[in-house]
Amino acid sequence: MRRLLLTLLGLFFFAGASWAQLREVTGKITDSRTGAPLSGASIKVKGQNFSTVSVADGSFKFNVPTTAKVLEITSVGFKELEASIGEGSIAVSMIEADKTLSEVVVVGYGTKIKRDVTSSIARVTSKDFQNQPLNSFESALQGRAAGVYINQGSGKLGQGLTLRVRGISSISANQQPFVVIDGVPVQGNSLGTGGEPDNPLATLNPDDIESIEVLKDAAAAAIYGSRASNGVLLVTTKSGKVGKTKVSVGYFGGWSDPTRKQEFLNADQYRELFTAAADNMGYLASEEFEFETGTLDWNSTNNTNWADQAFQRGSINQLNFGINGGDARTKFLISGSLNDQKGIILGNRLVRATGRLNLDHTINQKFKVGMNLNLNRTKNFRVSADNEFSNPIQLNALPPLHPKLNASGNPNSATLYYNNLIDQISSFNNGTTYRSIASAYGEWNINPYLFFRSQVGIDFTVYQEDRYNGKETLDGAPTGRAFSNNVTSIIATNTNTLNYRRKYNDNHEVDALVGMEYQYGEVKESSVGAIGFPNDRFQKIASAAIIESGFSSQTAYTFLSYFSKANYKFKDRYLLGASFRVDGSSRFGTNNRYGVFPAASVGWIMSEENFLKNSRALSFLKLRTSYGKTGNAEIGNFSSLNLYSATAYANLAGIFLSQIGDPALSWENTNQFDIGIDFGFLNNRISGEIDFFYKKTNDLLLNVNTPATSGITSITKNVGDMENRGIEFVLNTTNIQTKDFTWTTSFNISTYRNKVTRLVVPVNPGQRTLGRLAVGQPFGQFYGRKYAGVDPANGDALYFKADGTTTNDYGQADDMILGNPNPDFYGGINNRFSYKGFDLDIQCQFVSGNDLYNIAGFFQSVNGDYFDNQTVDQMAYWRNPGDVTTIPQPRLYEGNGAGKSSRWVQDGSYFRVKAVNLGYNIPKTTLRRFKVESARVFAAATNLFTFTNYNGYDPEVNATYVGNVNLGHDFYTPPQARTITLGINLGF
Amino acid sequence: MNFTKYFHSALLAAALLSLGTGCSKKLDQQPFQSINAGTAIQSAADVETAMIGAYSIMGGGALYGTNFNMIPELLASDGYCSWRGTFQGFRQIGSRNMTRDNSEASRTWIAGYRAINAANIVLKNLPLVTDTDLRDQLEGEARWVRAMMHFELVRLYALPYDAAVTNNTQLGVPIMTQATLTETDAFQYPARSTVQQVYDAVIADLTTAIAKLPSSNGTRISSPAASAFLARVLLQKGDYVGALDAANAAIPAFRLNAAVLAVFTNKNTAESVFEIQQNDQNNAGVSNDGLATFYASLPGVGRADVRMNAGFVGSYPAGDLRGSEWYYVGTGARPGNLYCRKWNSFSQNIPVMRIAELFLIRAECNIRQGTTVGATPEADLARVRNSLRTNSASIINPTLADVLAERRFELAFEGYRVHEIRRLKQSTGSFAWNSPRLVFPIPQREMDANTSLVQNPGY
Repeated sequence: MRRLLLTLLGLFFFAGASWAQLREVTGKITDSRTGAPLSGASIKVKGQNFSTVSVADGSFKFNVPTTAKVLEITSVGFKELEASIGEGSIAVSMIEADKTLSEVVVVGYGTKIKRDVTSSIARVTSKDFQNQPLNSFESALQGRAAGVYINQGSGKLGQGLTLRVRGISSISANQQPFVVIDGVPVQGNSLGTGGEPDNPLATLNPDDIESIEVLKDAAAAAIYGSRASNGVLLVTTKSGKVGKTKVSVGYFGGWSDPTRKQEFLNADQYRELFTAAADNMGYLASEEFEFETGTLDWNSTNNTNWADQAFQRGSINQLNFGINGGDARTKFLISGSLNDQKGIILGNRLVRATGRLNLDHTINQKFKVGMNLNLNRTKNFRVSADNEFSNPIQLNALPPLHPKLNASGNPNSATLYYNNLIDQISSFNNGTTYRSIASAYGEWNINPYLFFRSQVGIDFTVYQEDRYNGKETLDGAPTGRAFSNNVTSIIATNTNTLNYRRKYNDNHEVDALVGMEYQYGEVKESSVGAIGFPNDRFQKIASAAIIESGFSSQTAYTFLSYFSKANYKFKDRYLLGASFRVDGSSRFGTNNRYGVFPAASVGWIMSEENFLKNSRALSFLKLRTSYGKTGNAEIGNFSSLNLYSATAYANLAGIFLSQIGDPALSWENTNQFDIGIDFGFLNNRISGEIDFFYKKTNDLLLNVNTPATSGITSITKNVGDMENRGIEFVLNTTNIQTKDFTWTTSFNISTYRNKVTRLVVPVNPGQRTLGRLAVGQPFGQFYGRKYAGVDPANGDALYFKADGTTTNDYGQADDMILGNPNPDFYGGINNRFSYKGFDLDIQCQFVSGNDLYNIAGFFQSVNGDYFDNQTVDQMAYWRNPGDVTTIPQPRLYEGNGAGKSSRWVQDGSYFRVKAVNLGYNIPKTTLRRFKVESARVFAAATNLFTFTNYNGYDPEVNATYVGNVNLGHDFYTPPQARTITLGINLGF
Repeated sequence: MNFTKYFHSALLAAALLSLGTGCSKKLDQQPFQSINAGTAIQSAADVETAMIGAYSIMGGGALYGTNFNMIPELLASDGYCSWRGTFQGFRQIGSRNMTRDNSEASRTWIAGYRAINAANIVLKNLPLVTDTDLRDQLEGEARWVRAMMHFELVRLYALPYDAAVTNNTQLGVPIMTQATLTETDAFQYPARSTVQQVYDAVIADLTTAIAKLPSSNGTRISSPAASAFLARVLLQKGDYVGALDAANAAIPAFRLNAAVLAVFTNKNTAESVFEIQQNDQNNAGVSNDGLATFYASLPGVGRADVRMNAGFVGSYPAGDLRGSEWYYVGTGARPGNLYCRKWNSFSQNIPVMRIAELFLIRAECNIRQGTTVGATPEADLARVRNSLRTNSASIINPTLADVLAERRFELAFEGYRVHEIRRLKQSTGSFAWNSPRLVFPIPQREMDANTSLVQNPGY
């Protein structure tokens, strides 16, 4: 295969080269407004493949054929113009283009001027998120990209987050968007074995990123075929810029605290509540407490605030540098960063070191090569999963009567539940990621219109988990336990495209592309676990007496794809686009190996029409619509097969039938319709977009339950349907623009309405959870018993029956709809002010109408049913006949109001001042003395204020251990961090 | 415009497409740690590994690894023990307030039938085994697995067998005898057979197994051990004649240990009729499952979720070593309370039957029938109460009540309690022997997946 390619390349190289007589032309390019020289402008002989780039002083010099007459000059941010070649130097003065229109957006396998885009793409650029202490780069999209819903889940560092583009498009396959970095598809899935997903994307340095494009509709995404149903994230890293080499150094540092805390009973309240609870049942509280905890602490004077013990003051420090420059032929960027974050949860820390080299080189008129090389190391000192006793937040369950320390000054182990402060002494749980995302490309300008590009990309990730639990800990007792796991993930991609771009005359413009792509993905894993350590200072498996587990595994998949797309523009106002992709994959059943994913779009720039062209108010108006099909191939690597797996019976090895598959298994299909308007008024001082979308997903992959009597519980089949519809609205305004003062506002608001339209069997809530899937209802709808408060007569908890009456018998109550974890709407508002050297950026973000369920309510807000410490609201418990309250009479062990119900469902709406950044650019006149080109000092805050009625820790919560159907569940989930940072950026 | 340009483009496009042809073979990717079902079982050795697979499933926490042992105790916990843990499924069982979606009811049903299918797969592939001894052995083992799973399931998911009734027509569980190998097999919708039919099928399988199995079979099921299980099944249905014979057939192959704790702290001792094999790597669980996990309160071992009732522990005769050796004051989780030492280590083997039970079956049957087949009840009881072993006095002319009391002492916390109450038509707390509240629901997931099923009363 490779030999064939080389032969062909060689053949074309010689056949295609044409030689002509040359002469030198020179010139200089300036900005018409300021008169300043423009570097980096591209100068090209019209209709021919001779080009150069202007250097730092705006000048250019290159050889052109003697026959050449006209130069085409382009520069980002300026209107394209032509200049005729005469005698002597050519002076070109360029006029600033309207930014809204000339902005270049990255699209699948190429770029496009925003004005000509006929699909729906959200774009966030580095200026939106620079100098912010982001957990992971995707969080920059939160509240900034319309149609992108992000829930960071918890305040744990390096933790997987929930990112949904235009609603929820899958049930059991992946729901996260497909991530492509500089053309290389990357590993976005958690690799670890821990109870909760790690986020492999958290290893990337957000400062390396120039822009993130979110491909939302089918017209934008369908070129990625079977992996585009959840939207596509195109990440473009910064590249070198022509001109003088610039060196920049930045630092920021700060501290963080929980956004919110929850209040629990103090010792007196605790004794009061449990005395009542025990008395009501004829028990003696002190005796029961002694039975349950094995301690005499009931009568102690302790008043420990256990809930607060889970937290520590976090900190963050980041140092980064960048060197960037280039000339007409070679451009480069070198960057590095070191980021050290100490989380707000005990023991949580993330250290990230990154380095990057991006290089582009033009060999000659015909050939261009380049590479991006990125190396990262991230070490995450992780927190236990929410549902583990070793999760620090679970400390809030401990009675305040227990002392924190025992007599010898160590964490007290005589507690109702495990005191996980013991973990802090002799345990660790680290996840270290070594990752390199690298790509190399070659481009061949076969002729002025035809470009061939070949790219090889590799995403190589090694994830190492290292855990030790000391002898005194719950998980490590009695002899210490260690676990070590090594995961290697490789995704290799080869992409070859042939692109034809031509403007025939002023009326016709064509941009067409054909390509093929081959991708191989592989994950290998090996682990060892051991127990029996001499003491807690020996923590490596080499020191263990007993190896208790050992494991190695491997999995792989392939994709082979062909694709094509074409865009046609007529008279600068009528736009047509079409794309087509065929994906074959090893994941698909043998009877269904190739999928076809077409899309088409049209656009009409109405403001170019004569009847609108002279409108004063309206400066831009484009109508666009698209329709197409995408797929979701995250269906497991071998789901279509009938398989036997190995199983052990003590020392004997056996096999068992582990899976029955469907040979017709295929990807999930999503057909999406989008209609949108892009508009601009008053010279685009007011501009925006409105989009309506309708997404219909068919062939959802579901585990169809079989009668378990068959020995198999389910078979994965394409049997579900779901739809999402919604509206997105974006408005950007320049409110004030004077010489010294500017105020701009960006606002976006989005909705999605999800509905499951076909299911074989409903997915019912679990024993502790409320989320379900039912036909005609939204994904993850809360369903269960509805709490009806307290019977004032006797303090019994009441529940609703279907007929609207109430009962005190939980078993007699009926299940009903209790809420919806999906938001009614969500979005963000950004205000940016600049005054002379000062700038202030305030980013707010909101989510409204989503319900949350606190699973832990069963333990912590249950009127003293068991000895878990209770939230303070429980003190409003029913005491005497006639009391009107929502907290039932405390009855120890009796379960009065303890059944899973809407008692712990709450509105999760919130409005958050997400990011504030105040900066000051020190005047150049001052800086000159220090030989510094630019200097900016800034103060920033993340999650500065949160407004919500939720009374748990933080309304932005999503416990992951309950699975993806149970959205918006909270279970001792740590809150987000409020972080304040101060920093400086210097440029030389 | 010239011809070469178009020629180039066309050639390049063709070249691009041809790039893929070499890769298309790569679309056939086979898994690495599973084997395609079409090639998984091709030889006698493969059939044997499939048999091991069935044992492995049986040893899981859903079956003999935890639930078949612990749930019968929790279902009849009154004045005996109490569930103190946070696991909702067990909590509901302890309070006899099971819901249709009870997680234990669900996982035990699923795993039980998975083991049955594993056995059926072995039976289906027996023709691959040319050695007749091995073929008989594998058939016996598979039938025993199938019998025991149906027996345990019908005891948990159906109203109890009533020995006073000639045909127990109350609904039992579906009887599965065909291997599931394809999608079509998996979408069969069997109805519940009657309890009588299930017992008949169990006894038929056990009878064949006893005939086919070798007299000894290492740590796997042997012919005398299968007889022992037949004795248990027949006793449960009140067939004292059959139970006596079956017990007699089994007894010579086993003998009691000298120390009462030895069978729980050592592996495969003489006393053990059959035990689930475990080791450090392969066991029913070390943190969220497994008998030691739930029962033990030892440093670093156990959640101490099942607490013994002091009254019950105190009911052992004074000086009886079983009362002192098998119970202890916890020193791990929830310390200071009474716990059962039978389940003390994650990697211990789990005796599913000990010979003590056979002596007691024989004694009971002999007393009930006024016979002394095999041995006198006095002698059998004396074996169990052997002074070296238990340090308790022998009983002259024991009565039925003596034997039943002895069963309570000897077999405590080994999965007998509720079955015993049912067979003897006693009650536990306010629940009668045949209370529907003591019966598991047919799991909701199963009711949803198979409309041929009828739910148990009360759910």
